[in-house]
Amino acid sequence: MEFPKITNNCCVEVDFRQKNCGRQRTGGDVFLSRKLKEQQRVISVLSDGLGSGIKAGVLATLTSVMGLNYMSSFRDPAKAARSIMDTLPVCSERHISYSTFSLVDVDFENEVKIVEYDNPPVLVARGSEIIRLERSQVQVTRAGREPVAISVADFQARPGDRIIMLSDGVSQSGIGSQSLPFGWGIEKTGNFIREQIEKKADISACELAAAVVDKAWVNNGGHALDDITCGVIYFRQPRQLLIMTGPPYDQKKDRLLADLVGNFPGRKIICGGTTANIVARETGREVHVMLGKIDPDLPPDSVMEGVDLITEGILTVGRVARYLEDRRNPETLNLNPATKIVRMLLNSDIINFVVGTRVNEFHQDPNMPVELEIRRNVIKKIAALLENQYLKETSIQYI
Amino acid sequence: MSKKFKITICSGTACYVLGGAQLMMLEDLMPAEFRDQVEIVGSACLQACRQGGSGQPPFVKINDYLMESASIAKIVDYMRKH
Repeated sequence: MEFPKITNNCCVEVDFRQKNCGRQRTGGDVFLSRKLKEQQRVISVLSDGLGSGIKAGVLATLTSVMGLNYMSSFRDPAKAARSIMDTLPVCSERHISYSTFSLVDVDFENEVKIVEYDNPPVLVARGSEIIRLERSQVQVTRAGREPVAISVADFQARPGDRIIMLSDGVSQSGIGSQSLPFGWGIEKTGNFIREQIEKKADISACELAAAVVDKAWVNNGGHALDDITCGVIYFRQPRQLLIMTGPPYDQKKDRLLADLVGNFPGRKIICGGTTANIVARETGREVHVMLGKIDPDLPPDSVMEGVDLITEGILTVGRVARYLEDRRNPETLNLNPATKIVRMLLNSDIINFVVGTRVNEFHQDPNMPVELEIRRNVIKKIAALLENQYLKETSIQYI
Repeated sequence: MSKKFKITICSGTACYVLGGAQLMMLEDLMPAEFRDQVEIVGSACLQACRQGGSGQPPFVKINDYLMESASIAKIVDYMRKH
């Protein structure tokens, strides 16, 4: 069986972590990303609004949304910066209009453009080394106001590179403390990032961002004295996932499923008891159902050598579709077979579905107490959600 | 030492929605007298609903005996008789 060829051997993973200042419910830092599918571009903005709380949140949201939109359509950083600064409302207390930002634009050839205004400098890690970027200053003139300088840099990203965007809540964390009287500083932050990558070479964007934010929080003695935000863009080999669900229409194709388990270069999930049994029979392996920790609504998952996860079929995929539709964060949901699938989906870049179309007639019995949907339809819905809402690549093949 | 009863609970879709979900608690609800005599395992699907004439789900296998419309009471009853 052929899966769509991977066109780009490097994909971009973006994630961020954040802690709000003090007890503020609204972050004064905003991190936004957008993928422009047709142009194969990814744009991320980190903006830090003046102060903290709702006012800062509004300034930062305005700045980051404008930044995203300007970069999406024009790609001229000076123009974007000027419009942002002219638009920001003036603070009634401090009489300035202010929010800082870092903007990273990655194109289809992994050419990166970085635009910064007053945020801590964006760090670029190649492997575990922090590399120096050549930055140039661009003057932004504004009618009736002092011109300001923004810094612009570009470079060619390679697989394994990471771009780390920080708010000053990170670089100034620990300021005034005995161990860090002048704050953590960008250099020490860079060293910390290097150590994290040395410890775990394939640390994900979200793990690295979380490590940085947690460390900054600890530097402050377990407080957030300012909004603390770290965004990470990671250029890495795409992760592939295979989901096999349903027995093949033609029994002669049963062997195909077993071959896929052996050959597929990525993680594998089987959804469906019969499908699991087919693979077990064809490979001579055993399926063990994990009785014990049971979710009241979903049948338990099983384990088999060579397969990362085995679940029941239609009830579980139906629940996966619902979680994806509601944009539920799987980390905050009870661990059940469906949330396990959602986690694996969101951790993958390319998802291939192999859908068997043989129907268990018993499921069509109108006396069944629950409505069991047709497998094909649910999978189509999941694939569409993954493409449109979660920016994944998907393929569906019916057997 | 092998146990007297090996109970296999089907956790396939049809069995699960027709009452199999309750059977997952069999281990906790097993009367004390049988605790040492049973081994409880799950099956991804016993395939019984696909073979016509086996009866109604949920299905449970006790050693080689296939029980249809299984319930915890019915299983315990069967073990008492054997």
